[in-house]
Amino acid sequence: MAEELKVIVFGLGNEEYGIEVDKVKTIERMSPITRVPKTPSFIKGVINLRGIVVPVLNLSGRFNLPETEATEHTRIIVVVVNDMEVGFIVDAANDVIDIDTSTIDSPPEIVGGIQAKYLDGIAKIGEDRLLIMLNLTEVLNRSELVQLEQIEV
Amino acid sequence: MDMNAYLSMFIDESNDHLQALNDNLMRLENDPEDISIVQDIFRSAHTLKGMSATMGYEDLASLTHEMENVLDLVRNNKLKMDSFIFDTLFKGLDALEKMVQDIVEGGTGKADVSAIVADLVKIVKGDYATDTSATASVTSASGKTNNSGGILDQFQSSVLKQSIESGHQVFYVKVTLTESCVLKAARSYMVFDVLENSGEIVKSEPSVEELEQEKFDRSFTVFTISQISSDEIVSKINKISEIESVEVSLLDEDSLAALSYSDTPTTKNSLSESTELTSSKAPSPVAQVDEKKNVKQGSQAAVANRTIRVDIERLDSLMNLFSEMLIDRVRLEQLASEIKRNDLSETIEHMARVSSDLQNIVLKLRMVPVDTVFNRFPRMIRDLAKSMDKKIDLVITGADTELDRTVIDEIGDPLVHLLRNSVDHGIETTSERIAAGKSETGTVHLRAFHSGNHVFIEVEEDGKGINKDKILEKAISKGIVKPEDASKLSDDEIHMLIFAAGFSTADVISDISGRGVGLDVVRTKITSLGGNVAVTSVQGKGTKFSVQLPLTLSIISAMLIKLGDEKYAVPLSSIVETAIIPKSSILSVHGNPMIKFRNAVIPLISLSNLFDSTSFNEQLEDEHEIIVIHKGEKWAAIIIDEFIGQSEIVLKSLGKYMKNISGISGATILGDGQVALIIDPNALIK
Repeated sequence: MAEELKVIVFGLGNEEYGIEVDKVKTIERMSPITRVPKTPSFIKGVINLRGIVVPVLNLSGRFNLPETEATEHTRIIVVVVNDMEVGFIVDAANDVIDIDTSTIDSPPEIVGGIQAKYLDGIAKIGEDRLLIMLNLTEVLNRSELVQLEQIEV
Repeated sequence: MDMNAYLSMFIDESNDHLQALNDNLMRLENDPEDISIVQDIFRSAHTLKGMSATMGYEDLASLTHEMENVLDLVRNNKLKMDSFIFDTLFKGLDALEKMVQDIVEGGTGKADVSAIVADLVKIVKGDYATDTSATASVTSASGKTNNSGGILDQFQSSVLKQSIESGHQVFYVKVTLTESCVLKAARSYMVFDVLENSGEIVKSEPSVEELEQEKFDRSFTVFTISQISSDEIVSKINKISEIESVEVSLLDEDSLAALSYSDTPTTKNSLSESTELTSSKAPSPVAQVDEKKNVKQGSQAAVANRTIRVDIERLDSLMNLFSEMLIDRVRLEQLASEIKRNDLSETIEHMARVSSDLQNIVLKLRMVPVDTVFNRFPRMIRDLAKSMDKKIDLVITGADTELDRTVIDEIGDPLVHLLRNSVDHGIETTSERIAAGKSETGTVHLRAFHSGNHVFIEVEEDGKGINKDKILEKAISKGIVKPEDASKLSDDEIHMLIFAAGFSTADVISDISGRGVGLDVVRTKITSLGGNVAVTSVQGKGTKFSVQLPLTLSIISAMLIKLGDEKYAVPLSSIVETAIIPKSSILSVHGNPMIKFRNAVIPLISLSNLFDSTSFNEQLEDEHEIIVIHKGEKWAAIIIDEFIGQSEIVLKSLGKYMKNISGISGATILGDGQVALIIDPNALIK
């Protein structure tokens, strides 16, 4: 008996990605972002999420993919992983689907420029639709953050 | 009955009782003759036992029960407190605390306490105490007879039984007041007074508290052990006015057994509710005074209990919701000023007033007296002093000083460190103190007080002080201080070296008598709370640690500034002055920009450079707005674009993902809903 997994589907560039729904706290429209100095460029800053300050990453930037301009479809997906609340800027978030875990294959070495360790696998939906399952723990791995510059006075 | 619903209440109340037990045991240790303290202790233990039994925590109940047996002998002057008994009771208390802690963590509260119980039983049996005859009879009270229901609980009935066995008279007294009686509580008190003058009251129905609160109809009953005859009791009670009838019956073992084991469902209640108001047998005036004091305390407790406990997380979410409302309020104010309708503006003005009152209340809700942290220290100092064989007085002042709950939660550990340090390395041994011409007993002062927007907590002792030569020597050998700089350091600067990280290694302890053990941790913690710690010391006279803490972690006064289109907040506590200076007044020292400020030359920091600002560059301006900030004695000036103004801001953390951003200590949400970052001046000054 295969297990069903409920995932949020979002678009980034030409690819479709999936995050398990129970890791997603909320999906928001773009809101004003306050830049935080001395942080890697993919950290766009922080937003006010109903009284809580949440850092926002550009997921494309995180994967060293070209960043796209914000449009009216741009969304911030706020996930909670290891007690960390982080928002991801994605090009669009438009679907919630159930996938059969048995259709998830382990990721190939290189997929669309993203290193394999950021991926949990690739899910095949229907005939020609591929969903890239993200490994959020690895995406949010702090130790991998670029060493922050020390302030020189 | 669903016990879970009562669990948190049980835990809270148990902790209260444990704390009371702790405090009172300490008091008793200082004044072992004061039987009234034993009464207090007994009452706490008794209530705790009842609560635990009701909740089904048998181990807790039975250990408390054994402790109660010992205390009972003490309060009846059958046993004298000594250090063995104190130690055993404290051990029992520790075990109880552990069990309650286990329950808090979801455990069953079970623990192996057989060693302590054996000691307690030994004390009761008198195997160890001298007065065996008095104690022997009570031993059976600790027998494992179950609470099988009845007017009397197991403990009370065994006390009465033993009294009968040892030849005392036990009476069952029923007093009925006249229908016209106005002050029923006062009359019942007078009856108690009479009975206590001639004996001892073991149990009353309804309980003493209920009698005090006049929660009874016209009659009440009392079990009493007395030396006088029943006739005498009747005549004495009849002398009190407004008494309708007095029935006194002498009980023997059989009738007592019937009462104890009759199947009335009151046991559970009486077990937890009735606090026996017993006093020593001797009808001395002292005992009477104690009694009155107890009665008074009882009524005070009733008043003090008019509070509710609230989960701190609920307060936090209240706070969050509230700050959201503030943001909406600002938005409404903006809209109203655009629409310009009088009644709308007035309503919003009123709303503004109400919400600022509300804000004050929400903030005050979070304030807790430091007492909640301080109250565990007397016991800790006692144990430390004992284990090191030193004599130490802990003097606590300002325990009612209030601090935000979040600060309170964090401050405990650093204070433990400082106090341990004072006892361990500050105060000398008794012989050393005598040799130094000091009093035998060392004193540790623990003070808390408000000062401006801060709370100070000081730990001061009259011990040997810090040996600065040794500190300096060590600092040089550890490479913390360069030898050529050593002579330039002031005494205070040398003392502060004990907070340096390198000082907390084990091999240092013996060399410099341990000063500095873990003190770097203390400093890190306190700075992370937005506080500061300083040390002053006079060799041979003592040492004082002074901890400065912000009143609250959640709201601070700040200066809001602009840097192009970005807004930042600078904590007011770090600002010395704001000014506007012409570009021409900037000096250059080794290529670094400096300015003259109050006869000193201080570095000038470009915030736009530092933060890679995209929308502001001060190079294009002829005049600079600056803020002079300080970190301790060091000053620096930062160039900003524009001042917005002073404001109270709600501190928000940047979250786990973004910790340790240099130069930024957190964030706040402004009236327009935007996030503004809070600049950390401490990081800007090296």
